[in-house]
Amino acid sequence: MESAERLDVNHQLGLSDLPYVIQWNDAACTRCGRCTSICPVQAIEPGVYERRVVESTGSTPLPTTVRKVGSCIKQVVDINRRCIGCATCRQVCPNDAIVPVFNPRNKFAWHMNQGGEPYKRGGRRNETGASVLDQLKFTRISMLTDPALDAGRHEFRVRTYLGRNLPPEKLPLKVDGGLLLPEGMPFIPPVREIFPIRIGGMSVGALSPHMWEGLAMGIAYLNEVENIPVVMCTGEGGMPPRLLKSPFLKYFILQIASGYFGWDEIVHAIPDMQCDPAGIEIKYGQGAKPGDGGLLMASKVLKHIAKIRGVPEFVDLASPPTHQTKYSIEEAVAKMVTAMSMAWNFRVPVYPKISGTRTALAVLNNLARNPFAAALGIDGEDGGTGAAYNVSLDKMGHPIASNLRECYLNLVKIGAQNELPLFAAGGVGKQGNLAANAAALIMLGASGVDCGKYIMQAAAGCLGDEHNRCNICNTGKCPKGITTQDPRIFRRLDPDMVAQRVVDVFVAADKELKKIFAPMGRSTELPIGMSDGLSVSDAAVAKRLEINYAC
Amino acid sequence: MRSFEISGRDEKGRVPSKEMDARIQAAVKGGEKHLTIDADGQHGIGGRIWPSEEGVTLEVNGYPGQRLGGMGMLGTKIVVNTSASDDVGWVNCGAEITVLGDVSNGAHNAGAQGKLYVQGGGGARCDTLTKFNPRFAPVESWYFRDVGDSFAEFKAGGIAVVCGVDPRNPENILGYRSCVGMVGGTIYFRGPVEGVSEKDARIAELTDADWEWLTSNFPAYLEAIDRAGYLEELTKSKEDWKKIVSLTPQERVSKGAKRLSMEAFRQGTWEPGVGKGGIFADYLDIDHTIIPYVVTGENRRFVPSWDNDRYAPPCAYNCPTGIPTHERTKLIREGKEDAALDLVLRYSPFPGTVCGYVCPNLCMESCTRSIFLSDPVDVTLLGRLSIDRPAPAKEKARNEKVSVVGGGPAGLSAAYQLALKGYNVSLYEGEDNLGGKIHYCIPEDRLPGEVLSKELSRFKELGVDIHLSTKVDADLYHKIHDESDAVILATGSHSPRTIPFPGYEHVLPGIVFLKEITAGIERDLSGKKVVVIGAGNVGMDICVEAFNCGAAEVVAVDIQKPASFGKEQKMAAARGATIQYPKFTDHYDFEEKKIHFTDGTYLDADLAIISIGETPELEYLPKEVDLDRGHIRVDSVGQSNDPKVFAIGDVTKPGLITNAIGDGVRVAEYVHSLITKTEYEDDKRTIVPYEKLSFEWFDREREGGAVSCSTEGGKCMSCGSCRDCHICEHSCYWNAISRVEHDNGTYEYVVDSDKCIGCGFCAGVCPCGIWELSAAG
Repeated sequence: MESAERLDVNHQLGLSDLPYVIQWNDAACTRCGRCTSICPVQAIEPGVYERRVVESTGSTPLPTTVRKVGSCIKQVVDINRRCIGCATCRQVCPNDAIVPVFNPRNKFAWHMNQGGEPYKRGGRRNETGASVLDQLKFTRISMLTDPALDAGRHEFRVRTYLGRNLPPEKLPLKVDGGLLLPEGMPFIPPVREIFPIRIGGMSVGALSPHMWEGLAMGIAYLNEVENIPVVMCTGEGGMPPRLLKSPFLKYFILQIASGYFGWDEIVHAIPDMQCDPAGIEIKYGQGAKPGDGGLLMASKVLKHIAKIRGVPEFVDLASPPTHQTKYSIEEAVAKMVTAMSMAWNFRVPVYPKISGTRTALAVLNNLARNPFAAALGIDGEDGGTGAAYNVSLDKMGHPIASNLRECYLNLVKIGAQNELPLFAAGGVGKQGNLAANAAALIMLGASGVDCGKYIMQAAAGCLGDEHNRCNICNTGKCPKGITTQDPRIFRRLDPDMVAQRVVDVFVAADKELKKIFAPMGRSTELPIGMSDGLSVSDAAVAKRLEINYAC
Repeated sequence: MRSFEISGRDEKGRVPSKEMDARIQAAVKGGEKHLTIDADGQHGIGGRIWPSEEGVTLEVNGYPGQRLGGMGMLGTKIVVNTSASDDVGWVNCGAEITVLGDVSNGAHNAGAQGKLYVQGGGGARCDTLTKFNPRFAPVESWYFRDVGDSFAEFKAGGIAVVCGVDPRNPENILGYRSCVGMVGGTIYFRGPVEGVSEKDARIAELTDADWEWLTSNFPAYLEAIDRAGYLEELTKSKEDWKKIVSLTPQERVSKGAKRLSMEAFRQGTWEPGVGKGGIFADYLDIDHTIIPYVVTGENRRFVPSWDNDRYAPPCAYNCPTGIPTHERTKLIREGKEDAALDLVLRYSPFPGTVCGYVCPNLCMESCTRSIFLSDPVDVTLLGRLSIDRPAPAKEKARNEKVSVVGGGPAGLSAAYQLALKGYNVSLYEGEDNLGGKIHYCIPEDRLPGEVLSKELSRFKELGVDIHLSTKVDADLYHKIHDESDAVILATGSHSPRTIPFPGYEHVLPGIVFLKEITAGIERDLSGKKVVVIGAGNVGMDICVEAFNCGAAEVVAVDIQKPASFGKEQKMAAARGATIQYPKFTDHYDFEEKKIHFTDGTYLDADLAIISIGETPELEYLPKEVDLDRGHIRVDSVGQSNDPKVFAIGDVTKPGLITNAIGDGVRVAEYVHSLITKTEYEDDKRTIVPYEKLSFEWFDREREGGAVSCSTEGGKCMSCGSCRDCHICEHSCYWNAISRVEHDNGTYEYVVDSDKCIGCGFCAGVCPCGIWELSAAG
């Protein structure tokens, strides 16, 4: 309706409605503007305040008025410029004069659909409680009764296998004159021995060049210097040819997903490859946002991304939620596993990754019958993403623990446990407990786990959390320079520092895994499926996961 | 020497360890100094014998059990004539133990003082956890052959000597992974080793002091183990020996720091593998450097710009005449008061009459001060102060002739502007006075007559050829049309609109009533009741005039909420006029002097006046000129479909006087541009968004009363137009803003991009909304 008078704040939200409220200290502030210059969303801006005090000092009212006008920092009360709580303002403030404070009673959820567009964001499921993974405890502590191992003293082999581990009787080999010889022209499944924690797929495009190169360099360092064979998945979006043709390709799993971005460059590079990749991951689903497909916002599709992906610049890049020419998961898996295996002459492990789902078992059983399938990746609901609808992030998906567990127990039932490795993902390290979460999943039956969000937080200081702090990965304004293609922002991030932190993370996780496995007396093989070592104080969880209940 | 014998077996069979120990302790307590033990697997033999002055010697034969000499004390000497089991000398506190055979696992585990002489080799985990206590001499362990795996783990003190004679593993005499967790002590060894824990210990050459200690202690050891013949071989060369010492805390730290740096890895491994500049170098042409969060120059995400006068201020934007009040106030602030008062005369010939009195002053209504502080700049005052100011100087006389038909506000405005531009202007007015509705329809109460007279005389001085009492008819129109370069029609609207309800013929048109009064024909309405149909501003003027004529009661009616506002309505209300609505007139009963409404009500009306507007009288106009519902159809600059003919003011559409004057300004500019073949430019600027202004710098007017030129000049917020207050310059922490004065007297504020971080303080604090912070390209 037409207004009778000039409207003021009638339809604005109040500061109390916003998720983060800026606390600004007038007395400490020098008005240098550092904070406003860096605020990624312009949630704060310089302004002017007026203070007016009527004073009377005598014993009768003899008023004098003191008026003071000055410059200040003001929070913008606009849902589209809401403070995201990243606290970069505080980071740059020389006097600690400004800080965003989480407002637990905010009304953001009721207003985040402005213009009829549902809220999109990055990050992971905004659920702050302890996940099931974090509730699991390792309760089989060997004392001197079992051969005790000392994590600091004993040698451990914290390794897992990516690839089909055929039992001796299934291997197409024969013993001839005391020699082990192949029978005919057999297919011997390729297997990689890797560290059981991997960096899950995060694409060139989702991540900034400095971030991606930092991760890749850290991976190379771990392999080349620390002798910890950590591998990393590229995510969908290709890989720079320089890396494809480098001797480091063997530390990377190339992902192919429903958008097929970047694959022409990969295929072109095959003749020039010095080594084979660690594996090929066929992405069917993403646990963070099942059914949502991939989405790279136009603002992030800059020249280098466009070239690597093989698309025009500045267009929204959607990976459809399904592979366009496949009409069932059975068909898709059969076709894709064979086709991708063939690309490297069956020398590279090829496996599908699906989002955690009640129907994961069907896929698993299908794979178990496919001799070329190297593994199954299952991605649970707590995984992270650079861009998704909030409703998909928060409400879609399956927790990883029980999904992984039932798949593993099914493998046990058909006698194929460890033959077809399961890789679990989704919320590994959500509360910062990378190694513990990994060990728990391994003991539930995973051969290995993927982490993504954790590594962004640990290696590059990603600010995102489950209070919806920051989580603007989709906008290209990431204050840390992790998920942006704007050089003015990503040049804040030092790839060497990222790489160093990646190294720290895995060297430390290696030690922590030993600390967990040592008291359980496991040092030579991972305790995959060693569920008698696990307990939980929730009887329902214990029952569902078929593990011990302890309290 | 007398020896007390204790056997590990008696008539009951094997003596338990507890019993064996009790017997040994009892014998020592009984004064025995030399015991011969025939062991049979008893554990802990020879431990905890508290020192006596002469000491106690135990000779052990048979098969001693574990922990022989465990917790052995200073003064205890044990010689085992066979091999010993696990943990010989466990937590040894001073005993000297000689084993003439091998020791199995864990010898001297946690040993703190004392000596262990081994004639053979050691098992696994020997010399682990040995301690260091400065109150005593260090613990010593001597192994003649080699030792087993995990040797010296967590060793914290003491000396171990491994002679390496006839080792069981000739490749490695210290076993698999020795010295893990070693933090102190020294190991002398002779022979090949591998797998020594490098993160804990280092292998070093023997110093002279080491060699001195070793060679001086060897004879006693070799003597004890009955291998004296080896002395020469073992001590023939210092170079045969090496030692292992634990890393110092400093060495550990520096060893950690020696981890290959990522920088070195990038240069030495990564870039040689992927190419110089990294994996994205083919795509990115940016510097391979890291930038801070707070940046200047081209790394800024936002850049400020000083966009003076980019926006129109609300006063000028909303003034239909387009008077830039902010420029007047700027001149006032600069001390150029006369120039300020003269400026308005470039826009309007009637600043006193219109701005000062009759205009509703949309400028003041929209004034930012009005919005935020409720006290707009008093434009009426400024207008009135210009009454006595002269018109601007005329430009050079031109030959072109422009005729203006109609001497009301629109015609006068156009004639005024064109005369100032030097044109020959002829003005035709049907009445015998200039001013049109200003003259005829505005009551004296609202506009003192002398104000208009003064401003009209200023107009008349411009030399416009004025034809009063010259009603333009079709013939004259054609004559004017032929002899003029442009004809501007400003004949207004004077034909009263009426409603043909029964009795309407008895209703007096308002414009007639007002014109009568101006002409001095005053009706006597003493004690009469007057109803005014139409409660617009003219209706309000009529109410006032009716009271002036003595009316007892005046009621204005309207079919809707009255359109009147501002001073007209206030003045009428002050005189006692009331307004009723909605009232649809049904009929006027002239006999009964009652006006009836469709809702069944009526009002007494000795006189009924109708004031619902007027329509143009256009009998003179040729049919070729298009009309639009009774008005001349014109475009936005007043041009009709006859390119030579323009129309302005009420003849084109009803409006305020200021609209008519503004029409005159624009049409004059446009006609001028056509004649001089120059570009006509309308001000297309949008109004400055109020949000851009920082009104907080200004306080409300609190003194009240006296307003003057200078108070109004100071009050003006100068919206969208730089006030030259230097607040931006002061506010810029980085000293990036400076004021630059140009030779032509103008100035600007400029930004040094090498200093500016793009914080937006300039934009945030600018009272006038001049600074714009935009995303950098």
